[in-house]
Amino acid sequence: MARRIGIVGVPPLVVIEAINRAGDLIVDLDEPQLRAPIDQTAAHIPRVYCAILRTVVLNCLHLRLDEVVIDVGPGKCDGALHVAEVVADLLPIPVIRTRNQDSRPFGHPLCTSPLPLVEKFRRITKGVQSAAPYGPMTVCPPTCGFWGVPPRDFSLLALFPDTTHVFGWTRCMENKTPADLDLERQVDPDLPTVFFSQSFCAKAALAKHLAAKHPRAIAVDCDVAASNSTRAKIEAFLELSGIEPGGGTS
Amino acid sequence: MLLADFGTSYCKIVETDSGEAPRIVATRELDRHFMADLATGHNAARRSIRSINELTALARGGRQLVDRADFLLLDCGSRDIKYVRFRNGEVADMGWNAECGASMGFTIELLAAYYHLDYAAIAAPATGFSVTCGVLGMSHIFDAVVSGASETEAVAKFVRGIALNAHRFCQEPDELYLSGGLCANPLFVASLPCVVHPLGRFVLLEGLRASLPTT
Repeated sequence: MARRIGIVGVPPLVVIEAINRAGDLIVDLDEPQLRAPIDQTAAHIPRVYCAILRTVVLNCLHLRLDEVVIDVGPGKCDGALHVAEVVADLLPIPVIRTRNQDSRPFGHPLCTSPLPLVEKFRRITKGVQSAAPYGPMTVCPPTCGFWGVPPRDFSLLALFPDTTHVFGWTRCMENKTPADLDLERQVDPDLPTVFFSQSFCAKAALAKHLAAKHPRAIAVDCDVAASNSTRAKIEAFLELSGIEPGGGTS
Repeated sequence: MLLADFGTSYCKIVETDSGEAPRIVATRELDRHFMADLATGHNAARRSIRSINELTALARGGRQLVDRADFLLLDCGSRDIKYVRFRNGEVADMGWNAECGASMGFTIELLAAYYHLDYAAIAAPATGFSVTCGVLGMSHIFDAVVSGASETEAVAKFVRGIALNAHRFCQEPDELYLSGGLCANPLFVASLPCVVHPLGRFVLLEGLRASLPTT
């Protein structure tokens, strides 16, 4: 019978291959898998903490899982390392810590494709569950850039036009090299770019730093859900950069 | 064409075809059926036929009013602060602090009414309180008064703290253009530690004007 394996971050390819070979089901614990108040996690993890990792704990409180694999290496974050302790004490199942340092590049065709940005992110995050190589995709000429991790609230991505290229850790995710800092800090200085980080995430320092060096950029952060001011900042930035938010270029 | 900037405390309204100057109406006194043709600010989507983002209106207004390619425009509202930085005539950076800038202008106005103060008659103090936001900063005032400072002195330090906060938020420029009701507050303007060019309360209305279709 297929087991349900929860994953956090991007576990090494060899682990994903083994899960796929066994025919087990992967559940991405970084993403909201159920409707429940996130404050239910407050007894286990601080309220002022990365919303992705709070979501991991929320999922663990509700889902029936047989095993959890948490990447705690440089391809994820120290937060995951510490939350692994919480999850291990919370659940009566094996909690495997991995340190993904895979360096074989798979490419990042979705990041530069003409798909709507939400769809790019859906496929990239889903792609973590597979070790299969990507098929070819059309590259679209970009009008703007999104740098960062997949946001906890994907509705934020609907503000961007389909011609948005994806940079940062999400590109590393698709490339299956989550610890590749060189790739993570790659940007296009000619593209108006939104540097996104989750509130209370260590990557906010890199987002702010790269945004400050970029000629046309803003850094935004978002906690559990995107606030009106975060949305307004992105909308205004795109609009003032000559880009119709959520549509084509004006 | 009826344009409106719906602020938290005050609405700025202009009828473009009338040739009259814009008028200011306290938000709580605005007719509940009032509808603008084009608007920005809180409730703009609900109270206008077409609305645009406040930062967009601010940037477009700044472009109309400031004849420079490089400048920083800071808008201090009742409830929030926002800024837009232009470089080579293009928007290079922007920020909107709707949470931690909470109730800044509102609190300053509230304090003047409560303590019966005239900000035009108060000199900017050399130092200010370390103020995170309007609400939290008020406890500094109460502490200072309890410690023997005059109410005027304590409020002045609060206002300076708020001004320093706003300056820090917009990346500590040497010079800035100021938009919003606080342009009319000499203590606040003098408390900003840089060269300040007050543009008044109608910058966003100018941005709306600039957003009208040209026929």
